[in-house]
Amino acid sequence: MAEAKEQPRIGVFICHCGTNIAGSLSIEEVKEYAMTLPGVVAAEEYQYMCSTPGQSLIADAIAEHKLNGVVVAACSPRLHEPTFRTATQEGGLNKFRFEMANIRDQNSWVHMHDWEGATSKAKDQVRIAVAKARLLEDLEPKSVPVEHAALVLGAGVGGMQAALDLASAGIKTYLVDKDPTVGGRMSQLDKTFPTLDCSQCILTPKMVDVGRHPNIELRTFTEVENVEGYIGNFTITLRKKARGVLSPAEAEERGIVGGGCNGCGDCSEVCPVIKPNPFELGMAPRKAIYIYHPQVNPLLYTIDFDSCVKCGLCVTACGEEKKAIDLDMVDTFEQVKVGTCILAIGYDLIPIEEKTEWGYKRYDNVITGLEFERLICASGPTGGKLIRPSDGQIPKKIGFVLCAGSRDNTGGVAKPYCSRFCCMYSLKHAHQIMEKIPGAVPYIFYMDIRSFGKMYEEFYYRIQNEGAKFIRGRVANILEDPSSKNLTVFTEDTLLGRPLSLEMDMVVLAAAIQPKPEAERIRQMFGVSKSQDGWLLEAHPKLNPCGTTTAGIYLAGVCQGPKDIPDTVAQAEGAASAASIPIHTGEVQLEPYFAQCVDELCAGCGMCVNLCPYGALALVEKNGRTVMEVTEAKCKGCGTCGGFCPGGAIKMQHFTSPQICAQIDAFLLEGGEQ
Amino acid sequence: MATDKNYGNPELENKLRDRYYYTTDSNPEFLEDVKTLSRTIAHMCFQCGTCTGSCPSAPRSSYRIRLFMRRGVLGLEQEALNDPDLWLCTTCYSCTDRCPRDIAPTDVIMAMRNLAFKYDIVPRNFLKTVQLIYNTGHGVPNNDVNRAARVKLGLTADPPTTHGYPEFIPGIQKIMDHYEMKDNADRILAEGGQ
Repeated sequence: MAEAKEQPRIGVFICHCGTNIAGSLSIEEVKEYAMTLPGVVAAEEYQYMCSTPGQSLIADAIAEHKLNGVVVAACSPRLHEPTFRTATQEGGLNKFRFEMANIRDQNSWVHMHDWEGATSKAKDQVRIAVAKARLLEDLEPKSVPVEHAALVLGAGVGGMQAALDLASAGIKTYLVDKDPTVGGRMSQLDKTFPTLDCSQCILTPKMVDVGRHPNIELRTFTEVENVEGYIGNFTITLRKKARGVLSPAEAEERGIVGGGCNGCGDCSEVCPVIKPNPFELGMAPRKAIYIYHPQVNPLLYTIDFDSCVKCGLCVTACGEEKKAIDLDMVDTFEQVKVGTCILAIGYDLIPIEEKTEWGYKRYDNVITGLEFERLICASGPTGGKLIRPSDGQIPKKIGFVLCAGSRDNTGGVAKPYCSRFCCMYSLKHAHQIMEKIPGAVPYIFYMDIRSFGKMYEEFYYRIQNEGAKFIRGRVANILEDPSSKNLTVFTEDTLLGRPLSLEMDMVVLAAAIQPKPEAERIRQMFGVSKSQDGWLLEAHPKLNPCGTTTAGIYLAGVCQGPKDIPDTVAQAEGAASAASIPIHTGEVQLEPYFAQCVDELCAGCGMCVNLCPYGALALVEKNGRTVMEVTEAKCKGCGTCGGFCPGGAIKMQHFTSPQICAQIDAFLLEGGEQ
Repeated sequence: MATDKNYGNPELENKLRDRYYYTTDSNPEFLEDVKTLSRTIAHMCFQCGTCTGSCPSAPRSSYRIRLFMRRGVLGLEQEALNDPDLWLCTTCYSCTDRCPRDIAPTDVIMAMRNLAFKYDIVPRNFLKTVQLIYNTGHGVPNNDVNRAARVKLGLTADPPTTHGYPEFIPGIQKIMDHYEMKDNADRILAEGGQ
């Protein structure tokens, strides 16, 4: 290491962070102490080191004191490492000649009431950082080209919006959905709050657009099988599930010119197998060869091979001209190369039947909000006529149970968080029954009405004005009259201070929402973290809400946390914008933290090759010897190989053994003999 | 602190008394005592009403468990302990089963009853129950009607409890003596308390 011979000249810069740091420890003492450390030639303190004057302070000191290493004692590298690296670079140094001591998040915030202890710990942290700074080396980030394509997983309203934005920005976009059609949850809804737009009417144009946009490659009935690579160069394996039906294009590939499915439905008519339609939440039948609903895109029938008896009636009905049905179709695989990915994988309702006090699935006339959407929807199983499941009668008194499993800390299926759209859709449901059923009265049982969005509070006013009854009390339990199937709702009117027993014709549970079961597998493939409630974790809740901790992977919609349609679409557009930046820049810089093989020390044993979780290592012939070689772009700098190598032949850049040992020594020897 | 108005007429004085809540009305120690005794997060109540809605006592009385939870949160010690409704909880634990904040309101009531006992605020029927347990081992001892019913059902006239094994009564008395329950019950009843 040639650089190690150069005399270290370290500058230490201590940030007050207002009173965040300066309020809990002695900046002055830490500064004086820093000057006593070997190699330190300058120590400064400033109110806000991240501000423009603070950064200039660093740049100027580099020139004035001829520094070759910079230590900033401030907040976390996650927040301001890029800021101070830039300042270091502006001062004329290589930006990796910078080391950060986190004396805020890991010190002053934790030891807020221990002045002496916090000051002493800050000294330790500065000493450790200086020890590493003395051994820092110049490093050059590696640039890699970015694939001019993106992938969006999930074709609900969020995924479709993101794909349309990316595609319209000139980026080839693969839009993937596991279902046979695009549309997602929003296509199941009847109307949207607070505007009362017909949900299908405003969604269908987008569903059509994603089908015909020249830059969108639609992949329905398709799942992600495997993800490899890194920002700019992801290779994603897609499993195209066997649909049993050929599109016109696929038919043409097989030489059936003018054939393929045209959506006529003759096949479905003759199919003898009847199953519940999951799109209608099981409240309507479908055949083994089916479409979810008339507006599907692509308009292709799909065979449910789990229930198909392969009788062949559909093949006959389809006829010799179209030849669209292939009962022996198998899953196929496709690899796509993309630069960035957006996950928009949506949500499910919790199994609300497990909150037994409300009787869902035990009492016929207790339904969920999503089932209400289908029952009130003109294209739903009842043609938009809201009826009681028990007897087909029109309900007059309908109870709406808010926070059914949300804001509930009892564990099990219950969720501690607010599901964020139930208040508003329940208000909308109340409006719909008052509009459609003369004399109907909605009773809304609530703890708080959270009408926080634009025009939402006005919507709340409107529904109350229309005659909805609001009862401030969480529903304790529901009992069913076995003969009439009417429901008695028990709660307390907390504003009156009286227990209530109200007989209802029907009760709608605003069930809490939760991540999809497949979210776990998907997030592991894409290397995305989850928050404690299971939703996918954004890089920063305020400053990077669409990004993730894995570069090149972005989030949109409810999979990141409960949100309504406006917020989902806004985040989708944000994610699309973020995901297009690396693609339009054309290249990304990778942190030069990759492993390096020191050829002279490498024995070519190859043990490291299999250990690498990223497949970044290989054995190669060099000068007549077998040695290991690192594919730098694939290496994430995890250190697995470096820690293992029996010969010490693998050097982890920026985290070299001498650097780490110096840090440990600095801590344990408390600045003594090293 | 509530202020007196001095109308010179006790009835009017009471009718027009200052009903503002002042922070000085609260005893923060009370909430801490309730939490310690009940071993539940009594301060986390958000007043949803699931407890009262679940309560079998509420529709038949003026007992409102949610109100006691609120008094606990605010530290309204005297208001809670002097309210005779405190003793109307049947300890069925329905509220504890259903509370979305995972609080045990039943245990909060039990804690408040224990604290009330320190001030000798206990209804007479509860004190008489103490005496009955002390003397017979039963809060509700067997009686002739029950004995006849038991015999009719083919059971022994007395159950295999302290009624059948009266030699165990001294053991029960020893436990109660340790907590001075009987002495206190006798004393409060003699003083003509509640």
